[in-house]
Amino acid sequence: MPESATHPVINSLELVGRSTVKLIEEAGYYSALLVESLFWILAGPFIKRPVRISSIFSQMMTMGIAACPIVFVLSFSIGVMLAIQMIYNLKTFGAESQVVVGVALSVTREFGPLITGILIAGRTGSSLAAKIGTMQVNQEIDALRVMGINPVRYLVAPALFAMMIMVPVLTFFSDLAGLLGGAVYTSIEIGLSFDAYIDRTVSALAVADVMQGIFKSLLFALIITLVGVSNGFSVTGGAEGVGKATTRSVVLSISYIVIADMIFTYFLNL
Amino acid sequence: MMANNNSAAIEVIDLVTHYGPREILHGINLTINEGEIMIIMGGSGSGKSTLLRYLLGLGIPTSGSINLLGKDITKISNTEMHQLRQNMGVAFQGGALLSSMSIGENVQLPLREHTHLDEKTMEIMARMKLEVVNLGGFEKLMPAELSGGMIKRAAVARAIVMDPKLMFFDEPSAGLDPVVSAELDELILNLRDAMKMTIVVVTHELESAFKIADRITVLDQGNILMTDTVENIKNSDNERIQSLLNRRPSNDEVQADEYLNRLTGV
Amino acid sequence: MNINTLEGEGYTIIGLEGDVDLSCSPDARKSILDVLQTNKNLLIDLGKVSYIDSSGVASLVEGYQTAKKQALKFGLVGVSDAAMSVLKLARLDKVFPIHDSVAEFEKEDA
Repeated sequence: MPESATHPVINSLELVGRSTVKLIEEAGYYSALLVESLFWILAGPFIKRPVRISSIFSQMMTMGIAACPIVFVLSFSIGVMLAIQMIYNLKTFGAESQVVVGVALSVTREFGPLITGILIAGRTGSSLAAKIGTMQVNQEIDALRVMGINPVRYLVAPALFAMMIMVPVLTFFSDLAGLLGGAVYTSIEIGLSFDAYIDRTVSALAVADVMQGIFKSLLFALIITLVGVSNGFSVTGGAEGVGKATTRSVVLSISYIVIADMIFTYFLNL
Repeated sequence: MMANNNSAAIEVIDLVTHYGPREILHGINLTINEGEIMIIMGGSGSGKSTLLRYLLGLGIPTSGSINLLGKDITKISNTEMHQLRQNMGVAFQGGALLSSMSIGENVQLPLREHTHLDEKTMEIMARMKLEVVNLGGFEKLMPAELSGGMIKRAAVARAIVMDPKLMFFDEPSAGLDPVVSAELDELILNLRDAMKMTIVVVTHELESAFKIADRITVLDQGNILMTDTVENIKNSDNERIQSLLNRRPSNDEVQADEYLNRLTGV
Repeated sequence: MNINTLEGEGYTIIGLEGDVDLSCSPDARKSILDVLQTNKNLLIDLGKVSYIDSSGVASLVEGYQTAKKQALKFGLVGVSDAAMSVLKLARLDKVFPIHDSVAEFEKEDA
């Protein structure tokens, strides 16, 4: 035992093994949380223990409406950046006007959902982890349980519900802001009129393109909520633990979002 | 001692619990009678907080059973547990008020979750309980605006708002000045006498324990050393109990060599 | 819980019987407020109450306040020791007009 424990290779192998086990354990925990939340959302009203509507709405406000300005700014910038890069590239082929199609597809299929997802992971995922973590440390979660108030019903289900609505809505908003950014830059750079840009965008885009992005954003909403919440519930060790859990939830959910994005984009485009 | 007429409100039978691979409670047997104040006492690491967690149904024991008001909480369904919880009140050490809600909303929370009473009735009930704990007129304040002692009392108000039959206190006097602590002791006695509650208090404060206890259980390293009346606990010739009461380490004579080695790390 | 309503000379007596708890205190509350709505002085007879919880007491409090607003008389009769200790806990024994019996109330009233 002492020998193997000190060998660096064995050590790091063990670390990899332990981390893997932990991640798989967590995946199990995420699914359990998801199933329980869905139970409360769907069955709660019938057993007279509904999910709090007021909480859903207040969370939709804080995580959705309040995020609009920052989503707009970032998405608009991404739209401008995409237009810059594409015009630069397309110039080589003398096909600058194709920039409209490029921006339209990149924004709706990829950048809209991704930038929204990352932003919400940093904004809402972290605040979920911090809020629930603090409640855990202060025994508020225990207090809820002994009062017969299921913490998943009370805290997780409303957050999940609100996220599943607001992240797709924000993604759509982000799509619009991104397209606007592309349009503004393109009209200045190559003199394409705004109306013409809109016309071409509309004809270039299929409903499926937008829906692909929206579908992915639903997945991101799920990831952000479950990762944030489960990190919050697993906080131990006071304020320091809350900080760690918050950081961990942001890093994990952004990583999961990017990886999930890659996998789903691959399968959705087969 | 078991020959009294009172029926048991709480009955713990052969309770064994683990934290990870470590066994914390090694087979606890404890009967708490209806309407009595039972103090669970012990040093840190004695397992008293663990025992409380399991009494509250916050953990799944390795083996043994815990009967609350005649229901074995290790076996009953979620629905039964949910109903039982309406008869349990808990005042946590730090209060554990929900920080996002005002004091009044905190106190009303169990009513909102469990009853369909009229809005006005719930408000009056919450205010009445705040009066009971001497916090009349504080319902609009947020927990962050209250002192530690006030938060603890507000937590008691929340815990008793449903008039529970069982009431649990976790370290009620910890972090309080003697005056506030004495007030809380008085309140606990009142709850027993006026509301006929069965009360479990986990504490390491001897003075308050001796003042309010009907009986005391002394825990040590996951075992019950003794469960008895205040008098008998005080007069016990058990060495561990005496050392706990006198607050000095049990082996008083210093083993000079061993001590020196310990200090020098040899 | 049973609720019996009796009409006296210029007042109504609501007699509560049995356990007044969460499940039935809304009924008691309704009877109390209904009587007060007809502008009658009200006595609540707690003599046959075996147990009253805070939702029951809260209904009494609301009734008393409503009666005061309408300048009506309100009183408790036959408060048992058990009920009294619950009232005392929230210092409500100093708030409610408490009479030993209906006869005593009539004497004071006159």
